Amino acid sequence: MEDPVISELSAIANYPYDMLREYKRQGRRIIGSTLPDVPEELVHAAGLLPFTILGTNRPIRRAGALLPDNSCSLARSTLELVLTYETGLFDGFILPQVDDTTQHLSDIWRRRIPSSFFEPYLVPRQVDRPSSRQWLLDETHRLKESLERYTAGVISDGSLRRSIVLYNRNRRILRRIYAMKRKTPGLISNRAFFELIKSSMFLPKERHNRYLEQLLPRLEQELPSGRTRNLRFVVAGVVWEPPSLMTILDELGIEVVGDDLCTGTRYIEADASTDGDPVGALVDRHFHRGPFSPIHDKGNRILANLLDLVRQHGADGILYLRLKFFESQDYDLPDLKREIQAQGIPIYVLDTEYQTIHLAQTKTRIQAFAESLPGGGT
Amino acid sequence: MTKETGTSKPGAREIMKRLTQDYYGEAARARQEGRRVAYTTAVSPAELFVAHDVIPVYPENHAVMCIMRRMTPTLSAAIEKKGYTTHLCAYARSDLGYRELDESPIGGLPDPDFLLACNAQCFTLTKWFEVLSRRYQAPLFVLDTPQYIRNDKARRNIIRYVEAQIYELIGALEDLTGRRFDFDRLREVLTLSREACRLYKEFLDLARHRPSPISIFDVLIHMAIIVYLRGTPQAVDYYQTLLEEIRTEKVAKGIGVINNERFRLYWENLPVWFKFREHSELLSSYGAVILTSLYVHAWSYDFDPSDPIRSLAENYTGVFSNVELEERAEMALDLFRRYALNGNIMFLNRSCKAVTFGEHELREILTRETGVPALVFESDMGDPRFYSEVQVKTRLQAYFESLERLNI
Repeated sequence: MEDPVISELSAIANYPYDMLREYKRQGRRIIGSTLPDVPEELVHAAGLLPFTILGTNRPIRRAGALLPDNSCSLARSTLELVLTYETGLFDGFILPQVDDTTQHLSDIWRRRIPSSFFEPYLVPRQVDRPSSRQWLLDETHRLKESLERYTAGVISDGSLRRSIVLYNRNRRILRRIYAMKRKTPGLISNRAFFELIKSSMFLPKERHNRYLEQLLPRLEQELPSGRTRNLRFVVAGVVWEPPSLMTILDELGIEVVGDDLCTGTRYIEADASTDGDPVGALVDRHFHRGPFSPIHDKGNRILANLLDLVRQHGADGILYLRLKFFESQDYDLPDLKREIQAQGIPIYVLDTEYQTIHLAQTKTRIQAFAESLPGGGT
Repeated sequence: MTKETGTSKPGAREIMKRLTQDYYGEAARARQEGRRVAYTTAVSPAELFVAHDVIPVYPENHAVMCIMRRMTPTLSAAIEKKGYTTHLCAYARSDLGYRELDESPIGGLPDPDFLLACNAQCFTLTKWFEVLSRRYQAPLFVLDTPQYIRNDKARRNIIRYVEAQIYELIGALEDLTGRRFDFDRLREVLTLSREACRLYKEFLDLARHRPSPISIFDVLIHMAIIVYLRGTPQAVDYYQTLLEEIRTEKVAKGIGVINNERFRLYWENLPVWFKFREHSELLSSYGAVILTSLYVHAWSYDFDPSDPIRSLAENYTGVFSNVELEERAEMALDLFRRYALNGNIMFLNRSCKAVTFGEHELREILTRETGVPALVFESDMGDPRFYSEVQVKTRLQAYFESLERLNI
């Protein structure tokens, strides 16, 4: 029997828009943002409801006329969602820019989707030199001032710090559950765990924390489910879409013990300090995140991070999710794959995209990879 | 050696040929002469390299040469085998393929000691140069230029950020060579760069004449020098000669590129490099000539040598590919007005996401503001496998027929 909290959060993770409409009816002003790295604490401290817009697996109807078909399906489906499927929900938007696609998406979005608030968030695309910190500080202050103008209020240091405490709490519990999941395979399914994270990107943090606080003691008391977990995987990429992907891993008895996904670790790693300047704390937090393919950093941090995850968590292999037309991954992959294999670590690259995925084939492929691993045979 | 007859001065074409040979020769000899080679991107503050006696080398230019020789399918196939996909930029695929097969129209490029990727032009370059940086174990400096959004405060911050990075870059160049950077020398280089850019812009603006003495195909040939030799006296001399030549031989005599000029076209995006000669011939049969594009204007910078760092930051951040869509549309509309353009070909370039992804929106603005319909076609700037001859010909024919019908 699945825990009622898990069931409820799974339902929200799979379709959050009824819930969002309810908040809208209650008079909450909703600010949608796209991936990655928007400092939601600022939005929260401004008295607004932050929500991460994560695309849709429903068909592309209108976005195709605005973004060519060789653009990444995350961008296209996110645009489609607000153009066609969930219209009129959002009061405003914050669109972070990390590459060519997100830069254009920001322009198209601003022109096509009416809203009373719109800001691009120009995150630094290099993080290997001191200039990037000052830049992000300037840009985050600009976002803060823009939110203040929009709400005709002030985001005080005190209120921002309270938001930081709330968000840190959420991240800490999720990281704690991740650690328990690694320690006790089968304690919580991959699908359920990653849906906890996804639902956190959707729900008000106060409410999400309440759910997690109910769930945590129950997980702590629970014994392993007895389900077999043959293998431990690190999952790399951007997003774990479509959701059935995690179900496939569950069915194959594979425990996800680490990841570098925007809808995974990147959302919950690193806390902001509650001392000193809170805007500076959010900026510092940004620089404590792991590597992300579009953002240039010194050395090959993507490789180093994956190797580190594998070793730290005793993983048997890496499942790399290549999001179709997400260009920066395509430049990383050949070298990355070669280097990982040279280290004797098995890696399987799975092409994914929003909208279409051949589940049976995907399962067969992952299974074939799993069976090729030592200890992977059934 | 160039052939010179009697006392006549060499023509621009000859000068270009010599400059190109000298430039690549110098780059090839760099290592034995104890000089450093930096790979850099076409839109980047290359003046810093010139001022510091580091030779800037442009893998993009070399990739264009590979494309023009139609080597791209072979080069690309070599790296597709290594796991790179065909939907990456054709420049990147040509370049990485050249490094795999060591096939080059000019005997190759020297290896880099340093790489600079400025993302004002596109983001792909960063990722492509990361691959090269790993391959050659050479440091990569990413000059990050956030989108130059139309917000005064953001712009002030952006320029401050880019200036800070230029100082970081200067520090990196000092580390590379062990020499102090000479700011007076930078001012001299920037003065030369300003002059070459001014002349280059005058050259582009010859397209205002009716009939136009130049087409975009002339520009695509003559732009190479502004890309890789700006900041040198040779570039200034070259564009002076070129201007004089066209003024004397064409403008003064009222000679146009075609003698039945009817349609003066704007071209959106980069060229289909491997087809541009054929395009030019095909278009002239309709009385049409492509005069300009925002792409070729990307090197008409306006530097202020008295404030070099700020001026570099502003010029390289405000390029058309890094501004908001509306501002890019205004830049294009300015060309429509100044050159009296009455046709619009919009190329959706599979290779270039940075220029292409906003193009549907751009089309809407341009069509609304000019009343000129646009011909939109999809292909690739460098890979003939994505080019359909029949489709392009049919579309062009239909387009000119509709312009005739609309009496444009």
